[in-house]
Parts: sequence; C-alpha cells; structure tokens
Amino acid sequence: MIKQILNKVSRKQSKFSKNQEPLDAQNPNLTCSGSKRSDLTGGNSRKLSSSDISAPLNPRFNPNDTNSRKGGHVSVSYESLPSFRDVPSSEKQNLFIKKVIMCSVNFDFTDPTKNLKEKEIKRQTLLELVDFVASNNVKFTESVIHEFVKMVSANLFRELTPQPRDCKILQSYDLEEEEPSMDLSWPHLQIVYELLLRFIASPEADAKIAKKFIDHYFVLKLLDLFDSEDPREREYLKTILHRVYGKFMVHRPFIRKTINNIFYRFVLETEKHNGIAELLEILGSIVNGFALPLKEEHKLFLSRALIPLHKPKSLMMYHQQLSYCITQFVEKDCKLADMVIRGLLKYWPVTNSSKEIMFLGELEEVLEATQQPQFHRCMVPLFKQIARCLNSLHFQVAERALFFWNNDHIESLIRQNRKVILPIIFPALERNGRYHWNQAVHSLTLNVRKIFFDLDPELFNECLLNFQEEEAKEEKIQSRRESTWKHLEEIAADKASSNEAVLVN
Amino acid sequence: MSMADEPLYPIAVLIDELKNDDIQLRLNSIRRLSTIARALGEERTRKELIPFLSENNDDDDEVLLAMAEELGVFIPYVGGIEYANILLPPLETLCTVEETCVRDKAVESLCRIGSQMKESHLVDSFAPLVKRLAGGEWFTARVSACGLFHIAYPSASETLKAELRSVFSQLCQDDMPMVRRAAATNLGKFAATVEPAHLKSDIMQIFQDLTQDDQDSVRLLAVEGCAALGKLLEPQDCIAHILPVIVNFSQDKSWRVRYMVANQLYELCEAVGPEPTKTDLVPAYVRLLRDNEAEVRIAAAGKVTKFSRILSPELAIQHILPCVKELSSDSSQHVRSALASVIMGMAPVLGKEATIEQLLPIFLSLLKDEFPDVRLNIISKLDQVNQVIGIDLLSQSLLPAIVELAEDRHWRVRLAIIEYIPLLASQLGVGFFDDKLGALCMQWLQDKVYSIRDAAANNLKRLAEEFGPDWAMQHIVPQVLDMIKNPHYLYRMTVLRAISLLAPVMGSEITCSKLLPVVVSASKDRVPNIKFNVAKVLQSLVPIVDHPVVEKSIKPCLVELAEDPDVDVRYFANQALQSIDQVMMSS
Repeated sequence: MIKQILNKVSRKQSKFSKNQEPLDAQNPNLTCSGSKRSDLTGGNSRKLSSSDISAPLNPRFNPNDTNSRKGGHVSVSYESLPSFRDVPSSEKQNLFIKKVIMCSVNFDFTDPTKNLKEKEIKRQTLLELVDFVASNNVKFTESVIHEFVKMVSANLFRELTPQPRDCKILQSYDLEEEEPSMDLSWPHLQIVYELLLRFIASPEADAKIAKKFIDHYFVLKLLDLFDSEDPREREYLKTILHRVYGKFMVHRPFIRKTINNIFYRFVLETEKHNGIAELLEILGSIVNGFALPLKEEHKLFLSRALIPLHKPKSLMMYHQQLSYCITQFVEKDCKLADMVIRGLLKYWPVTNSSKEIMFLGELEEVLEATQQPQFHRCMVPLFKQIARCLNSLHFQVAERALFFWNNDHIESLIRQNRKVILPIIFPALERNGRYHWNQAVHSLTLNVRKIFFDLDPELFNECLLNFQEEEAKEEKIQSRRESTWKHLEEIAADKASSNEAVLVN
Repeated sequence: MSMADEPLYPIAVLIDELKNDDIQLRLNSIRRLSTIARALGEERTRKELIPFLSENNDDDDEVLLAMAEELGVFIPYVGGIEYANILLPPLETLCTVEETCVRDKAVESLCRIGSQMKESHLVDSFAPLVKRLAGGEWFTARVSACGLFHIAYPSASETLKAELRSVFSQLCQDDMPMVRRAAATNLGKFAATVEPAHLKSDIMQIFQDLTQDDQDSVRLLAVEGCAALGKLLEPQDCIAHILPVIVNFSQDKSWRVRYMVANQLYELCEAVGPEPTKTDLVPAYVRLLRDNEAEVRIAAAGKVTKFSRILSPELAIQHILPCVKELSSDSSQHVRSALASVIMGMAPVLGKEATIEQLLPIFLSLLKDEFPDVRLNIISKLDQVNQVIGIDLLSQSLLPAIVELAEDRHWRVRLAIIEYIPLLASQLGVGFFDDKLGALCMQWLQDKVYSIRDAAANNLKRLAEEFGPDWAMQHIVPQVLDMIKNPHYLYRMTVLRAISLLAPVMGSEITCSKLLPVVVSASKDRVPNIKFNVAKVLQSLVPIVDHPVVEKSIKPCLVELAEDPDVDVRYFANQALQSIDQVMMSS
C-alpha cells in the first residue's frame, strides 16, 4: 500500500511541479491557521477547559461555519507551497513546518463539489510530507513535533459521525447486512494516518521528546477512534497504536488501562463498539510479549476484561482475536486454565447455538494446554456443561462436543478422570443414544459410549444401573418437590394466620 | 402423604433446591423466597435465612438478579421497619458483582428499603454501607455507591453530610470512567437532597469538573444533568453557573454533546427565565436548528413547538420561523419528519395571521413530501391546525396526500393512514368525507394484506360511531354486504369481520333485519373457514339481538353447522351453542 502511495506521489508530483506557478514567498496559511492554533497549545495539560470548547478545533466545527452549512466555504486563499526539491536544503525544515501547518485546515467532504481545488492542494501537500518523512531528512525537533502532532490531531480527532439514517428505511426492511460506512474524508485521512505511522516509525523521532506531544490525551483520542465504522481507518489505527505501544514505554500502562476501560464500557454498558477485534489483535501481540512469571496486573486483566468479553451478543465479530489472547495466557501459564474454563462456563450461552459452537472451539484450545491439576479442579462443572452440549438439539453443538474425544490430550485427561466424568455425562450419552434425531450425533455418541465401555466395563455398568434407577425415581422426585413446596406454603399460611391472631389479641 | 408427618426444615429445602443443577429450579426457589420466610417466621428469617443468603451468592447472574429483586420487598418478612437494616448485607454484596443488571437491581432494592428505614438506621447502617461501597477496591462497588447517596444524605448529621459530599466528589474524580459516568448520572438526584448553600459551592464545583472531563461519555452525562441541576438553583445562580456552560456546550465540537443540549435546552429555558432565554438561549437554539449534523437537527426540530410556546410570538416569528422554513426542505427526511410531527402545534402559538401567511406554505410543502412519514406526521396532528385556521384552507392539498398514502406500496404506511381516518372524518365533516374518502374506506376492505383489511373493518366501526347508525346504514352497510358475493373467500371473511364489529354500533333492529340474514346465508358457504367464522360471528351477535331471534334464526343455523363434515366448523358451532345455553341459563 505504501509503495502504491509513493508511486502516486512521484507521478503526481512531477505533473504537479510542471504546472507550478512561479513561487511566491507569501505564507498562505497565516490567515487561516491563526484562529485554529489555540486548541491544542495546552501542551501536556490536556484537560479540556472551557476555552478549549469555545475555540473551535477546525473549520468543520467552527460554529460560524456550522451556521452557514449550506453555503459556507473556507474563505481564505489556500495556495500550494513550493515543492521540497525546489528549495535549498537549509530551507527544507522551514518549509516542512509550513506545509504541516497548512495541512491543519480541514475541508467539508459531505459536499463533494466544495473546495475542490483546496482539497487537491492539501492532498498533494500531505503526499509530499509523507515522501519527505520517508526520506529521513526531517529533523524532528521539539517545535516540529509540536506542529506535526497538532496537525495530526486537527485532522484525525473528530467526533465519529453515525451512519446516515437516510434512505435505509424505505429501501429495505429485511436488509440484514449493513455495509460498513466509509468516511468521506478518507482521501485526506488516509495520508494523515500514513504520515503519523511514518513519524512513529521514524528513527529520527525521539521518543523522549515526542512523548511530550504524543501524550495521554493524544493516546486517549487515538483509542476513541477505534470505534470508527470505517474498517480502513481501524486497520491504520491498529498498526499505529501497536507502534506507539512499542515506542513509548511510558505510555504502556496507560494504553492497557484505557483499553480495559473501553472493554468494560463495551461489556457492561453499551455492547456497541466497532474496534474490539482490532484492539484484541494488538493485545494478542502484547500478551505474547509478557514476561514470566505473569504479573498480578496481567492476570487481573485476563479475569476482569478478557473473560467477560465472552458475554456480548456480538462475540462473533472478535472471537478469533479474543480466543487467541486467552490461549496465549494459558500457554504462558497453565495454572490459569482453571480460571479461564470457569470463566467460559459462567458466560456459556443458553440459547445462541452459533455462539456455543465458538465456545466449544475455544474450550478445546484451552483444554489442549490444560494440565492434570487444573483439569482436576474444574472438571465437575465443566462436564456438567458438556453433558448439556451433548444433548443439544442443534446437531453442530452436539457434534462439536463429541469431537473432544478425537483430541488425544483431552481424551487422555478424560480417561484418567473417568471415575468422576462418566457418571456426569452418562445420562446424556444414554439419552442421545436413544433419542437424538441426527444420525451423525447418534453414531458419534455410540462411539464415545463404546470407548468408555471398552475402557472400564465395570464402571460403565455401574453408571448404567444408576441411570436406570434415577430414571425410575425421576417422577417421584418431581412430585416430592411439589409436595414439599405445597407443605411449605401451608406452614407459611398457618404462621401468617397465627401471627394475625396474636396481633388481634 | 407421609410427607406431612416428616418434620420440614424450610432452610434445608432452600439449600437443597439451590444446589440443583437446573437453573430453572434454582430460580423458582429464589422466587419463592417469601414463602420460606413466612414459613420460618420473622425471627428465624432474620437469624437464619438472611445470613444464609449473604453467604451464598455465588450463583448465576439470573439467580442473583431474582434475589436482588426479592430482597427489595422483604421488609415485612423480617419483622417490619424495625429490622430493615438486616437486609442490607446481602444486598451490599450484590452491589459488587460484575453483571450490571444485578448491581442495578440491588441498588434499586437498597433505595427502596432505605427510603422506608428509620433515621437512626440510615445513619448507623445505610450511610456506612454507602461509604464502604464508595471505597470499594473494584469499580463495580463504587459505581453502585453513586446511586445511593440521595437516600443516605437527608437524615445524616452535619459532619456526616460533609463527609458524604466529599466522598461523592471523590467518586466524580475516580480513575475509572465507569465510576465518573455513574456519578454524573446520579448527580441530579443527589443534588436535589443537598442544601442550597452547598449546592452552590460543592455541587457546582463537581458539575464544573464533570463538564470538563477527558472522556466524551462523561461530559455527555454531565450535560444531561444540566437541566435537573438548573431547576434546583435560584434563577440568578442558574444564569451565573449553568447558562455559560450550556451555551458553550451548544457549540461543542462533539455532535453528541450538541445533541444532548438540543434535547435539554427547553427545560433550561424554564429554569433561567424569559430574559436570558431571549438573549442567550434563543441564539443557541437557532444554531442547533442549523447544525451540521442531522442528528442534532432532528433533536432540535422536535422541540420547535415547545420552544416557541415559551417565547413571545414576535420572537418565535422572528427567530424560530425562518429556521423552520429551512428545515422543511432539509436534506434529511428524518429532520423533516421530526419537524412535521410537531410543527402543527406552532399554529396556536403564532396566531391566525402568521399561521396563514407563514406556516401554511410549510404545512403544504410537508404534505407533499416524498417521504410518507413526513406526510403522515402532518396528517396525524390535523386537529391542532383546525382550531386556528379551519380545515378549508388545507383540504385542497389534503386530499391528494391522503389518496396517495392510502395507496402507498408499504402496507405499514397504509395502516397508519387508516388509523387517522376517523380523526380526519371528524375534522373534515360528513360532506367532505362522503365525496372523497368513502370510496377509499371500501377499497381497503379488499386490500391484499390482512392487517389492512382488519384495520379497514375496524375503521368502519369507528366511522359508524362518529357519524351515527343512520349515516352508516346509508353509506357503509349496503356496500359492505354487497361484498359477500366476492369470489375470494378471504374477502368474504372480511365482510363477516366487519359485520361483527358493526353490529353493536348499529343496534338490534338493523342487525336483525340487515346483517343477520347475510351471516346466516353465509353459513351455506362452500369454504369451511367461512363457516366456522359464521359460527363465531353468530356467537358474538347473541347479546345484541332479542331472545326470539336467537331461537328462531341463530340456533337452527348453529345446529346445522354442528353437523358439518369439517371438524373445525363443528368445534366452533358447538362452542357457540354452549355459550348460548350459558347465557340462557343465567338470564
């Protein structure tokens, strides 16, 4: 992708420089950038103050512009600056800053006919910047970084717009798949993201200086953008955040904490977020790098943020990445298997079969890395759940559970603990053998049944006997329960009336 | 029956049931917690059951949710208000679990119990509980604490009050955004219990901090609290402290914040009084009406009428009306739709002249909107404009709009317009109706969609009620009865449905002379579905007609149907016959 852009850059640039008007030394940005500069000058103290709120970030949010939404345009001259190769080396640094400042101006992309010329100029300028940063010629001094981060912030940190509601309703009530919405300003955004990525990756950019500007507020805003509906944007964000995490050691705890907060909000409050998969992908690689023994903080992260992520309805969207993170943990420290398995059981889906299949898949991977002692601790509740899965009317669920016996590691765990496990799952096997509608499930069940029988015929027959006894008693237990409650009701009524009698006396 | 002799230990039953693997059984037993409590008696409930519940809350969230709910109404079972504090410990634990529903329910139950508790208990047990939760290690406890302050505060001593205020303010600065959001959500409730002096100092400081939070989600909730807080303050304080904040917010760069402002602005006007409204809030509102973001305009457009009502007509005409004009041709159909649903209410505010001159053209253009929802919204509020300018000016444009909606290809749109026909009929009068709409009402009876046919039958009934039986006899009944000859059985069924609805309105005489014969003849239909519907209709006619008619016409017909070869026809015929017998017996 980068190559593509560069090709385009050079092609466009040559065309561009041919058509170039004679240079004039004026700075076209002075007029328009002055008012826009006030927003981020707060430096590190980035708590929003009311002056921040009233000072608009960029023309798009400029209230005056807002008012004239039907006819507004950027009313300043927006001319392109000379190309880098047309100025002496000593001037290049200055020109870089000027171009950066120039790119801090945003244009309204909702109206494709507006500011066409200016949009193209900005696009070209951004591409030149990408090229220049790539050439490693920039000295990223404090002031350069300051302007650069300001420009990036002005471009990227916008409130994400909801999907336009128009024209969806009439066309289709039954349209299930929603197209991901594409950000209209992507032609600019993409290059800004590319620039930011190159800046972070550039060895010229010293993390010690840059961290003053790539600060907590910047990281927070970057993380907010993960909710973007545009998959292209999230892809860039993923790469960039990963690099930021790698480069800025000081921010690591903050980034992890903020991601946790996003997860908590997603699981406990909104259940809506577009970037969970991307965030988990970053975390997957972070978890991969955790040193052993695992810190308590990281274990808490597993139990309080990752495991609850199994709950939301939209698990399908990020299950693969989540499952990767979880198995990473278990592979690093097999003592965690017990906690993970109990966690899965806690969030086990009740009615959603496709989710259940995902759970079974993940469970198999976790069990794969589980050792005897941990298995021992959770096998009772685990196999109660598996028994329920075996009896699922959804044949894929039942089948997926039966496939566990094809896994050598799991099969051997089961075999060693058969004295506990078989009594739990025996009724399920028996019922499947008798009633299950699906042929494949039926034969797989018989297979498993046979494995147990061959393994330990004595135990098997004992379970069979038990099962038959229980079955015979079932009705009796039911009626006993009913009569117990009835009796309780009577006692309660008695007490109440005697109480009243006491009161009357 | 040996059961009754065995001694029964209610707690043991519960423990046993809660051990069961089947979650449904566990849920059932928690749902019957009050039975166990009553069986135990108050004292043993306090000494055995409640401690047991406090310790055994490691169950599925669903069970915990049920437990949190049950405990909220448990005061009578532990011995009344005197012992209400016994219930706090189990709920406190439930306030710390992970699942949001459980925590919310536990907080709700705690509030319910707290609001009945004795003052001394509130001070000795409830307030310490709030403080413990607020200092909880995990954020779930702190989130729950936020919702309890307004219960603990009023009965506290001065020192305790000061402490509670400072604890709340700490929660507003909590490290976790989840806690700050909960605090922001509950700020209004808490503020309502705080004394005016502290309101101005402590609470306003908290509010200011929240409005400047790093996280948009927190700021958003702070805006939501604006109006509630504004109403608590004296107008001058509100002007000094809330007004600047809201004006700033109305220009926030986040559209979500502006959206919240658009929703709250009206209530804030009430709090600050007319003068600041005029100077500050009207301009802010006008900005929102012209916002870049459609969502904001939708919210703002929906408040046009409410807002205009609190302004003088001149102000409304000068500032609001021009925006309304713009919005009526907004690019987003949802904005237009929101506008259309409230704009009719502006007529009484503006007065007749301004309405005819300025508002009428807007009505008319919205009535021709390409989007059916917009047109429907205008039509649904027609009575409001009728009061001001009379319907005559509108009726010219109204008819094409109605006809078009009546034939819309989406049945939901057709359904919506049918619902408004009685309203239209009452507004437009019999003359207009007969000329223009009568045919439409009959046409719907033969719609392809069942819901429309059903609604059409219902509509006929409502029209008959509106215009009276004589009118119905002339304009509805003959046409409907004529449709019984339709070759399609579904349409014949619609006729039966219409008859059953019309009969009570038309009265005994017309029912016997006109409707009943048609029903009886339909019992000879070749389609069984018609026949068993005849049985149902006949049953419904019994209370309307006189006894001899039942004996002479209805019963013989039903007896015949009861011999029908079709099992369903026989079933419904017998049902009808049985019910007739019952009526006869009782009378």
